[in-house]
Amino acid sequence: MSRNASAWLHAVFDSPSDARDALEELAQEGLTFRDIEVRSSIPLEGVHPPDLQLHSRVPLMAVLGGIVGGICAFMLTSLTSQAYPMETGGMPIVPLPTTGVITFEGIAIGAILTTVATVLYECGLPRFRTKSGPLDHYLSTGQIVVAACIGDGESPEWVSKAIATERQDADQEDRTSSS
Amino acid sequence: MTGDRSREEPLFRPLTAWRPKLILGSLFTGAVAALLFYSWGYQIRNDIGVAGINRPVFWGFYITNFVFWIGISHAGTLISAILRVTSAEWRRPVTRCAEAITVFALLIGGLFPLIHLGRPWLFWFMIPLPNHRGLWPNFRSPLVWDITAIGTYLIGSILYLLLPLLPDLAILRDRHTADNPDSARARIYRFIALGWRGTAQQWHSLESGIRALAVIIIPVAVSVHTIVSWDFSMTLQPMWHSTIFGPYFVVGAIYSGIAVLMVTMYLLRRGMGLESYLNDKVFNNLGLLFLAFTLIWGYFTFAEHLTVWYGNEPSEMAVFTERISGKYARIFWAMVLLNVAVPVLVLSFPRGRKPWLTAIVGVGVLIGMWIERFIIVVGTLSLPRLDFTVGSYQPTWVELGILVGSFGCFALLYLVFVQIAPIVSIWEVREGDHHLNQVHSATEHPVLETT
Repeated sequence: MSRNASAWLHAVFDSPSDARDALEELAQEGLTFRDIEVRSSIPLEGVHPPDLQLHSRVPLMAVLGGIVGGICAFMLTSLTSQAYPMETGGMPIVPLPTTGVITFEGIAIGAILTTVATVLYECGLPRFRTKSGPLDHYLSTGQIVVAACIGDGESPEWVSKAIATERQDADQEDRTSSS
Repeated sequence: MTGDRSREEPLFRPLTAWRPKLILGSLFTGAVAALLFYSWGYQIRNDIGVAGINRPVFWGFYITNFVFWIGISHAGTLISAILRVTSAEWRRPVTRCAEAITVFALLIGGLFPLIHLGRPWLFWFMIPLPNHRGLWPNFRSPLVWDITAIGTYLIGSILYLLLPLLPDLAILRDRHTADNPDSARARIYRFIALGWRGTAQQWHSLESGIRALAVIIIPVAVSVHTIVSWDFSMTLQPMWHSTIFGPYFVVGAIYSGIAVLMVTMYLLRRGMGLESYLNDKVFNNLGLLFLAFTLIWGYFTFAEHLTVWYGNEPSEMAVFTERISGKYARIFWAMVLLNVAVPVLVLSFPRGRKPWLTAIVGVGVLIGMWIERFIIVVGTLSLPRLDFTVGSYQPTWVELGILVGSFGCFALLYLVFVQIAPIVSIWEVREGDHHLNQVHSATEHPVLETT
């Protein structure tokens, strides 16, 4: 969440369908994906703000990383072999079959590293200073947290649900600490 | 879709408090692991002569262990990647414990070339850096291919283990933060979860990444053991110079990998009360895979030996005869018994695919596969093509200590990992349950369409 945390309201849902209903309600109220965040402990198909287009460039970047890795590996192999040409008994200094082995591994490592780097970039990780939301511990038990940035008078029904949930949560914490 | 707390409790147990059994296990395996470092230290101090390797058997226990451990490493990443790519639902509780095996087995396997080197501080000669003598690694050598392939596989496997671990680390972070935000565990998990929040976009990217890694890692895993086999088959030594060595080694690697996975899963199931995750169905399915690889490995072994016998080439026949009826006959036939006869007799029947039986068969296969590596390495080197260098090999206590210590080291790393991260992927299991619930609700309330 990039906005002021105090401007966000959070609610917990047990089922994806309830969360989806809430999201549709929020969208009808005019909230866009920039104002809503859905968090869950598992990937949920279709449970995201309706106007949010999920995208990933991982496959493309993996291919590009593979190409770059392969070129680097080939250059390393061929250039170093030419820099110190060993006696090969009439065989080529840079034989393609043996160079191919190193090039293959270069393709793989290039693709692996760019895949992971792209995932981290798209996920905005690492982000060490992010504080947990007030209801994030519900995620550890498998529930879904929907957070929305709502101004006064917007989506009253949903807001009342959210506040209720937060109060309930606070009550539970109070009970736990008093016991 | 709420996670089943009572079912999940065994997964969280070792991660929320110190468990005496795990601590004792770690201490014991740590003591065994110390044997490796003591023996290795002794060898470094007194030089490589304290090992039994000598002319002509320059590759003894160390290279046997290297091939064995690299083979074991095929348990995890390859099996997990194949099961992920094929969307096998029963994979969910298996993937994490398999991937961890890969990383730790690779770390152990990677130690052996260093140990074998005698002077491990000269290892950097293999890295492509120009040194003061203008020498570069010889990229035509399969030994350099080894370094490249194993390095790639190690990096890939570590990332393939860590990437799907992020959501589980975040679950642990949230759980510990709710209990006590200032506790050491909460702080550690806050750091290692990297700020994962579980948003829709994060899940989308993570799933794309895991899919891509699974696809990339399969050919890498195949290349690793193929290249290890080329260390042998690129030479003209009898019973090494074989075109099927690549696939033969890959099959053997996966076979030994499944064996160690069976044993590890059984120990985890018993020791950590994971019966509801690593259940009989999982053992049955993996048992069938185990049986398939028994047959494939048996077929390759037969094909390899039949070709040599039929060719009747004198130097090859010398090695062959030593295996079948000579010095190595007893361990050769023990290998056939443990790797083919027993698994086929036990695993062919549903009752034989019970967890404890598959674990016992797994132990047998591990012993058998180690023998196979030993026979390949030492059997050929003691009877090389030029018969004036014929010799034998006897391991010393240093090599035995390093072998035993390597098992301790592996077990120690695994036990430590079990106390840091959930050994069964919580989010993947929850996702599987969620899919199952969706299917159940769809069958309970079918959508009827009228036209």
